[in-house]
Amino acid sequence: MEVQKEAQRIMTLSVWKMYHSRMQRGGLRLHRSLQLSLVMRSARELYLSAKVEALDLETPSTPTRCPPLSPEPMDTQEDEEEASPRAAETLARCSAHPARVGRKRRSSSLSNGVDAGLVPSKKARLEEKEEAEDASSEVPDRLLPPPAQAEGAFPNLARVLQRSFSGLLNRGPTAPPTAPPARDAKPVCRPADPVLSVLVRAVVAF
Amino acid sequence: MVLQPSERHYRDWNHRRLGPWCSPTGSPAPLSCETGCGEGSWILVCRLLVPTQVNLLSMEEDIDTRKINNSFLRDHSYATEADIISTVEFNHTGELLATGDKGGRVVIFQREQESKNQVHRRGEYNVYSTFQSHEPEFDYLKSLEIEEKINKIRWLPQQNAAYFLLSTNDKTVKLWKVSERDKRPEGYNLKDEEGRLRDPATITTLRVPVLRPMDLMVEATPRRVFANAHTYHINSISVNSDYETYMSADDLRINLWNFEITNQSFNIVDIKPANMEELTEVITAAEFHPHHCNTFVYSSSKGTIRLCDMRASALCDRHTKFFEEPEDPSNRSFFSEIISSISDVKFSHSGRYIMTRDYLTVKVWDLNMENRPIETYQVHDYLRSKLCSLYENDCIFDKFECVWNGSDSVIMTGSYNNFFRMFDRNTKRDVTLEASRENSKPRAILKPRKVCVGGKRRKDEISVDSLDFSKKILHTAWHPSENIIAVAATNNLYIFQDKVN
Repeated sequence: MEVQKEAQRIMTLSVWKMYHSRMQRGGLRLHRSLQLSLVMRSARELYLSAKVEALDLETPSTPTRCPPLSPEPMDTQEDEEEASPRAAETLARCSAHPARVGRKRRSSSLSNGVDAGLVPSKKARLEEKEEAEDASSEVPDRLLPPPAQAEGAFPNLARVLQRSFSGLLNRGPTAPPTAPPARDAKPVCRPADPVLSVLVRAVVAF
Repeated sequence: MVLQPSERHYRDWNHRRLGPWCSPTGSPAPLSCETGCGEGSWILVCRLLVPTQVNLLSMEEDIDTRKINNSFLRDHSYATEADIISTVEFNHTGELLATGDKGGRVVIFQREQESKNQVHRRGEYNVYSTFQSHEPEFDYLKSLEIEEKINKIRWLPQQNAAYFLLSTNDKTVKLWKVSERDKRPEGYNLKDEEGRLRDPATITTLRVPVLRPMDLMVEATPRRVFANAHTYHINSISVNSDYETYMSADDLRINLWNFEITNQSFNIVDIKPANMEELTEVITAAEFHPHHCNTFVYSSSKGTIRLCDMRASALCDRHTKFFEEPEDPSNRSFFSEIISSISDVKFSHSGRYIMTRDYLTVKVWDLNMENRPIETYQVHDYLRSKLCSLYENDCIFDKFECVWNGSDSVIMTGSYNNFFRMFDRNTKRDVTLEASRENSKPRAILKPRKVCVGGKRRKDEISVDSLDFSKKILHTAWHPSENIIAVAATNNLYIFQDKVN
């Protein structure tokens, strides 16, 4: 639990730093943003693994909502409904394999027909997020919609980040994570990490 | 900006007002020979503080030197953020010392000449020239401000009476010429003494203008401006040993320039991935080999160093050598990736070794061995358990530099609390010293400091928790041939000298 809290705190801190680095003179620093995203990823994985352990001890009874990590276009609504039982199942099994499989599936869609397909889904997600009440604990996902909208994204991102902060601060971690990409020793798998790619995209957008 | 002090004026002024700095304060205290004495003993030569622009304007003629080292300044902090020193570099003879600050200013100090009367005055550095190198700019396309902070200064070897240096901010590199003028032509025919044109009808005789001595004037002029070649922020520049080219490195690319050509540069390294989402590492520092003009190294944020040979191909994306130490699994932590990022890489003077600085260690690598460094020195390992707090206050992102001494036997780097450390590679001894105002008596001997890690704190030791993390020594420089070091602590420049020197 402590570990979870700590990881979440670091994730929040990282996003805050990233947000603030935009305001710095000289603009966004690529190296700093990369480092922040690395820490965010580590925190996220730590958080997820802590969560997995925690859920091992108790039965997952709360209705789980899978935070929209998937870049699959136009499937957000269905994804969520499907993902929750899938996530719970994955967590309960506590095995990395389905996680990897799940991730691979998603990443393959990421590599096919990337941008055009992503844009509509991001827009949909942004609207959906604005409507949705309970915030996911997956803060980096907030960055998903804005980067694709490049130029006009700044005010949106600010708003979204603010909301996500307040969401995080007000709520504890109610939503379980998606099947986490297992932490590989080699960075080779990094390209397949949708969260990191999203973060980097956010970085590049600036 | 042209500074017009006379050399003699400096010295006289120093005699009158800087007396306390010049004379030794009696017999030096006996050196305590506790552990970690390292390299003999170090004494403070002078502490230099160049006043802000505001002060400069109000002072008119008697410009910098009067206020430098004056206790008045010492007590009243005139320091603004623009005064924070961001780079320090000796020139190739060690006669000149250049500093760049966050306000885009370059200040060059010159060593006091040796003279029989004031033997003990030798080794002091005084202001030689000050000029505004870079101004803040605005990138309209990206709506970004470009900082004027000087990231690096590199001297060119001296080839004539003038001095040349390269200074760079995030986007633009400039070549500056610093020259002295001590003669002035007098006796023009068409102009009178004030420079006004004379009526040709009044000219009845012709004369040849003669050069008459004048007060020494040091002027700095920008000779070349190398702009618009970097999308990302420039972190390093390095002059090639052929003295015709130099390179500039940003986060993802390295460009090779010819000093004569400003509108073109060659891209020699490009690690930008086709898909930016796949970005995993950035370039953090780069340097040319001191003797082989075809060889250079660059370090990455992943803790690796690549050595490239420009003869192999035009684009050196494929390295010739790859230096990486396998990670110690027992040290693996949350912030492992951040602290393994290399913040500085330096060739030894011999060209045989490279030294790298990451957050907690300094490593020396032999160019002939790629799989691990030959020496690793812990700079402040007691911070390893504090990484989380250091992440919170952003200190974990600090980029420390490291330097070799002239004979490559000692390496030096900075730390927090205005501490800096020296490691003797031969005797394996190290010492921690502090650059502080409290110990700023001239010719005072620096006492070795010690950080107490845990348990009982001895007298004179400092506990880790009382370290001041806002006081960090990021930039240091070592004289190329003597044991004189320059240490930048925020807006102060400390010059220390080996006692035996």
